[in-house]
Amino acid sequence: MTTRPAGAGEEPQRLLADHQRLARQVRAAQRVTWFPLLVLAAVTFAAVPVYGLGGFARTCRDQPGGGRICTLYSTAALVYWPIALVLAYVAIAGFYLRRNRARGVGTRVLPYVVVGIVIAVVTGTAATWFFTHPPVRQYHLVLLDLGPGHGDLLFQLFSPTCAIGLGLVALAVVERSRALFFLALAYVAFAFVPGDDLGWVLTRPSPWGGSPRLVIGGTVLLLAGLLFAAGQRRSRRGTA
Amino acid sequence: MTGHPANGLDDVVHQRVRLGILTIAHEARQVEFGYLRESLELTAGNLSQHLSVLEKAGLVTIEKGYAGKRARTWITLTAAGTSALREEINQLKLLIHQVDGTGG
Repeated sequence: MTTRPAGAGEEPQRLLADHQRLARQVRAAQRVTWFPLLVLAAVTFAAVPVYGLGGFARTCRDQPGGGRICTLYSTAALVYWPIALVLAYVAIAGFYLRRNRARGVGTRVLPYVVVGIVIAVVTGTAATWFFTHPPVRQYHLVLLDLGPGHGDLLFQLFSPTCAIGLGLVALAVVERSRALFFLALAYVAFAFVPGDDLGWVLTRPSPWGGSPRLVIGGTVLLLAGLLFAAGQRRSRRGTA
Repeated sequence: MTGHPANGLDDVVHQRVRLGILTIAHEARQVEFGYLRESLELTAGNLSQHLSVLEKAGLVTIEKGYAGKRARTWITLTAAGTSALREEINQLKLLIHQVDGTGG
């Protein structure tokens, strides 16, 4: 951009090209995608000992047609996830605000933080309710028709992995990042991979049974965070 | 007045620097004077003149404050500024479309 005089005779193509280039430049300056990914990776890794060392509870309910259905769940994890995720989103909001103000631009991250907190609270509350009220009858949930045989699907839908993935979809929309959008969709899909232990733990039941899912999820977020950090640094240098 | 898109161009907005200021302010929500100066490669005086034109037209608001001991000036796009930017971009696209359509 130069300071030469200009008026109504400005070439439309050049003006439009400048407009698009500047918009890209601001978006690149605003993006700090690596930070939420690394924070969420840390929260995921920290959950491993919460499951392993925290207490487990069991709730059983009689089914209308006879027999009982039981759930076994980590009480510590039910407390840990909503608190950890809300604190993570507060930290993410604070980091974005500080970083973008230091760079001289505003931030678009607040919708992501609000959506993330809402998802964390809703999924945490729903998971607590479903664990303590094993599904003995049919549930109609939006487009899903869920019953006692679909308990896994309910728990996967309200799992922390799904909550993180859905939050990342919101971040991808806010940051207009296609790469993050596909990563977020893959992460949501990962939440629906059957089997809490992904078939890796031979001795059952074990309080560490959920560790493979947490370690894999945390590693994906960590690696993605490092890749985004490298990519965004390169991009800022390129648009500067 | 004819229906030619050039007639829909606003002289305040249809200018490289001012269009740049509006674009950045729109994307950034709020932008600091120093960021604008560096991004648009302008002198402080030149940028101030363009900001003054935009402020008088009611397209931006300018807020002065401090970050620690450092004085900072923040520029925010108004609703009128958002509409003016959108209108300018639409008119530019129309103009380009017309020029392309006539093979010019």
